[in-house]
Amino acid sequence: MYTAAFYGTDFIIKSREPKKYRIHELDEELRQLRTRREAKILAVLYRSGVPVPALICVGKHSIVMQRLDGKLLRDLKMGIYFYRKLGRIVRDMHSSGVAHGDLTPANIMLADRRTYIIDFGLAEITHSAEEQALDLLLMKRSISKKEFAAFLRGYSEDNKTYKRTISRLADIEKRGRYQIRTLA
Amino acid sequence: MAVLGIESSAHTFGVGVVDHGRILANEKSMYRITNKGMIPAEVAEFHIENSAPTVEKALDSCGLQIKDITGIGYTRGPGLGPCLQVGQLTAKSLAFRLNVPIVPVNHGLAHVEITKHVAYMNDPLALYVSGGNSQILKFDKNAHRYAILGETFDMGIGNMLDAFARKLGLSHAWGSEIESLARSGAYLQLPYTVKGMDFSFTGLLTKSSQLIGKAKKEDLCYSVQETSFAMLCEATERALLLTKSRELCVCGGVAQNNRLADMLNCVAKEHNARFSRAPNEYNADNGAMIAYVAERLLLKGADVPLKKCDFMQRYRIDEAVFYG
Repeated sequence: MYTAAFYGTDFIIKSREPKKYRIHELDEELRQLRTRREAKILAVLYRSGVPVPALICVGKHSIVMQRLDGKLLRDLKMGIYFYRKLGRIVRDMHSSGVAHGDLTPANIMLADRRTYIIDFGLAEITHSAEEQALDLLLMKRSISKKEFAAFLRGYSEDNKTYKRTISRLADIEKRGRYQIRTLA
Repeated sequence: MAVLGIESSAHTFGVGVVDHGRILANEKSMYRITNKGMIPAEVAEFHIENSAPTVEKALDSCGLQIKDITGIGYTRGPGLGPCLQVGQLTAKSLAFRLNVPIVPVNHGLAHVEITKHVAYMNDPLALYVSGGNSQILKFDKNAHRYAILGETFDMGIGNMLDAFARKLGLSHAWGSEIESLARSGAYLQLPYTVKGMDFSFTGLLTKSSQLIGKAKKEDLCYSVQETSFAMLCEATERALLLTKSRELCVCGGVAQNNRLADMLNCVAKEHNARFSRAPNEYNADNGAMIAYVAERLLLKGADVPLKKCDFMQRYRIDEAVFYG
C-alpha cells in the first residue's frame, strides 16, 4: 500500500507483492487474477452507486484508487440509525452481485460524511446465498446485538432475497465449526 | 506411570508406551493398501489379527511386562468405525484385565501434541494435514480445547493426493511417489480454491484427473502438489497473521512431504516465526502419540469409566477437552 498525489488529488496504490513460498508461475497467475478481480468489483460497485473508493487505473499487480481521508468504523461509536443505513449499503452491494468476504468494522470507512466499504481483496462476484450469509455472519460477530438488529432492518428493506439469505445464515450458525471460532 | 496407547483410526494399528513423557516404545502394523483404496471391514480384520502381536512387540521393545502398565489410552476418533472399534475393544479388555484407568483420545489432538512435545514447541499454530483431515489449529487456553481456524470444505489433502495417485496408476506409497515424480515436472494451471482460512480440494482433483493421458505424469504431479500446498500455505499465512503466533508446526501424514515443509518454513520466516515438524515416525499414525496424550490426561484425573468408553467416527478436535 502506497500513497501518491497527482495534480493535487490523493491516491493510494495497492500493490500485490510476490509470495516467496509458491512457484513463480502460480504466484504471477494469482496476483494478476486477484488484481483484475478486485478492480472489476470496484468498478461494478462504483457504477451501481455503492460507496467504494473510485478506481483510477489498474496495472498488472497493482490498483490505483481514490484515497479516502476518514476514520474506520472500528474506531468510532455510531448511533443505531447509522447501522440501518449500513444495512442498506450492504444490501445494495449484494444485489449488485458482490460478496465482500471480510465484512468487519475494520473495512467500513466514514469519510466526507459518507460511509464507504473498503478492501475487496477477498471479495467475489457472486449472488450465492452462502457468500452473502457469511458476510452477515461476520458483521453479526463484530457488532452488538442492537446494532446488528438495526443493520438487518436496513438490509431487509426492499430486499427480494432477504428470506433466502437469512435462512442460510441460520443454517451456517448451526454448523459445529462456527460455534467455537472465538480466536478468529 | 507407564501408559500404553493404542491407535487404530485408519490403516495403522499402532501401540506406544510412554513413561513421564519419555517414549519407551512405538510399534505399528500397517495394512497394505491395494489400488482399491481402503475397505473398512478388511482393514478391521487386519487389525484384529495384529492387535495382540503388536501390543506384545511394543512391550518387548521396552522390556516391560503387561503388569507394569498403569494406564491405557486409545483413539476415540475421528476415523473409520470398524477400525476404531478394534482399538477400543483391545484397550477396554486390557484396562479391565489389568484394572487400570483408561481414557479415550482425539486423534488429531494427539498429532499436534506429540509434535509440540518432540519438536519443543510451546504454543504453536498447527497445520494438521493427513488423509481425512486438513485443519489449521490453535489451542484456546480459556476454552481448554483446540480452535479450528480454518479447514477443508470437502476432502483431506492426503485423501486427494492418494486418490489422484491411484487414478494415475502409481504403485505403492502414494503420496511419496507423487513427491518424487514431481521433481522433474513443469507447471500446468489447475483450480486454486482458498476462502479466507478455508480451502477446497475437489475441484483440483477433478480437473487434474481429467488431464490424465493428455499431460505428462510428472507435470501433473508437480502441479497438483504445488497448487494444493500453495493453498495450504496461503491459509496458514493468514492464520499466522491473525494469531500473531511465533511458532508454526505441521503434523499428520502429509507433514512427511519435504516440499510442503520447505514452503511452510518460508511462510514462517517471513513472519519471524519458528517452524518445526516432528520426525516422520510421529507424523504417520502411531501409538506413542496416543499414549503421550493419555498420560497427560490421566495425570489430570480425566479417566473415563469403562462403560462410557465409546468410539466416534466424526469426533471433531474442537469437541475434545485438553489441559495445555
